[in-house]
Amino acid sequence: MPNLYQLQNICKTYKDKDVLQVESLFIYNKEIVGIYGSNGSGKTTLLRLLSFLDEPSKGEILFEGRLTNHNELYLRRQVTYLDQSPYLLKRSVWGNVSYGLKVRGISSKSGQIHEILDIVGLPPQEYARRKWYQLSGGEAQRVALAARLVLRPKVLVLDEPTTNLDAESTKRIREASLRVREQWGTTIVLASHDQDWMDSISDRGLEMQDGRIISTRSKQ
Amino acid sequence: MLPIMDYIWQGLAQAFYLLFANDPATYSAIWTTLKVSTLSIISSLILGIPAGFFLGHYSFPGKKAVRILVDTLLSFPTVVIGLLVYIMVSRQGPLGELDILFTIPAIAVGQTVLGLPIVIALTASAVESLDQRLKYTLLTLGADRFQVLLTTVWEARFSIMAAAVTAYGRIVSEVGISMMVGGNIKWHTRTITTAIALETNKGKFGMGIALGFVLLCIAFAVNLCLNLLHKRTEE
Repeated sequence: MPNLYQLQNICKTYKDKDVLQVESLFIYNKEIVGIYGSNGSGKTTLLRLLSFLDEPSKGEILFEGRLTNHNELYLRRQVTYLDQSPYLLKRSVWGNVSYGLKVRGISSKSGQIHEILDIVGLPPQEYARRKWYQLSGGEAQRVALAARLVLRPKVLVLDEPTTNLDAESTKRIREASLRVREQWGTTIVLASHDQDWMDSISDRGLEMQDGRIISTRSKQ
Repeated sequence: MLPIMDYIWQGLAQAFYLLFANDPATYSAIWTTLKVSTLSIISSLILGIPAGFFLGHYSFPGKKAVRILVDTLLSFPTVVIGLLVYIMVSRQGPLGELDILFTIPAIAVGQTVLGLPIVIALTASAVESLDQRLKYTLLTLGADRFQVLLTTVWEARFSIMAAAVTAYGRIVSEVGISMMVGGNIKWHTRTITTAIALETNKGKFGMGIALGFVLLCIAFAVNLCLNLLHKRTEE
């Protein structure tokens, strides 16, 4: 599989404290990489660097073989990040899902939005017109995922996507992730406390501790 | 001497007569108020929303001092604003050449100065209180800097609408500025509030009550419109 990310001598410092140190990390195209570790192990920091929402204090991140700058709009439009408690815009489900298309100047077709809502298990006829405050936690999480999937990103970064979710939502998120990798070749990087769930979805697992990757294991 | 309740009843009866008989002096004060307050609130919003956004969204040296200044200006007495604008636009003042003293634009300048701190302070608070996750959500959905700015203002729209209503309430009900830089000239710069002050001094409660009733209706109509707008923007 060709190389998508290449991280070299990455260090992230907050208030003079090194919170992340990664000597070398490769992530390949269409791969699903799971990251696990205790709280404060540096998972979220790494995911935010991979999403170009933050920049490393030292080191280089290469994306598709090219040196990156986190301010580059092109890069941010290739990768999309989903938080464990995502923020929904004060609009309808339709407005939330179509926002990313709108800022790219793409008109949202109803077929497209309906397809994505179906993928995340929210029947469009029932959900498309609902307001942001009429959704449960699990539904809001799936709307947020749909808002990212509709963009057909090259990379989908999921940070603890199943925390506080019921079994149904957890199952839907797993199915949706596998489906977009299969259908569109999306690379997925995810972090979760639920190791069984993560093992069931990822090709490779990285264990983190104190800001470092301490072990890697691949699915046989 | 008539008992006080009789005064009030007579005043109410006269108020209805003036309103339904299309009394020109009453309607002149109403139209002047609507014109000048609309002009003032539009200028306050045009200047105040970007300034409030800047103050709430960005960090810069002296931000706290600016915030304290804006908060202090919230309780700026209207007669002091009237005095300052009077000095500025009077013949000897720096803006004397504009020759706008005792005109509607002069009142609008003063009322804009009155409304501006309210719009700035409340917009800044609205932007500051937005969820911290909003910015990263917009960035990860692919918004550029300008789109982040516009969407942030849109996310704060309900609070900004409340800021607009609060500022309009203060503008439409002030007397000091209209009296000092408007001059309370009949058919020209007489507003509802200056007319109420004048008519009450003359003992003519009817017109005062009629105009007070209209002022309440304006406040009610503005709140009703904003309520409808609130519902529509939720959709």
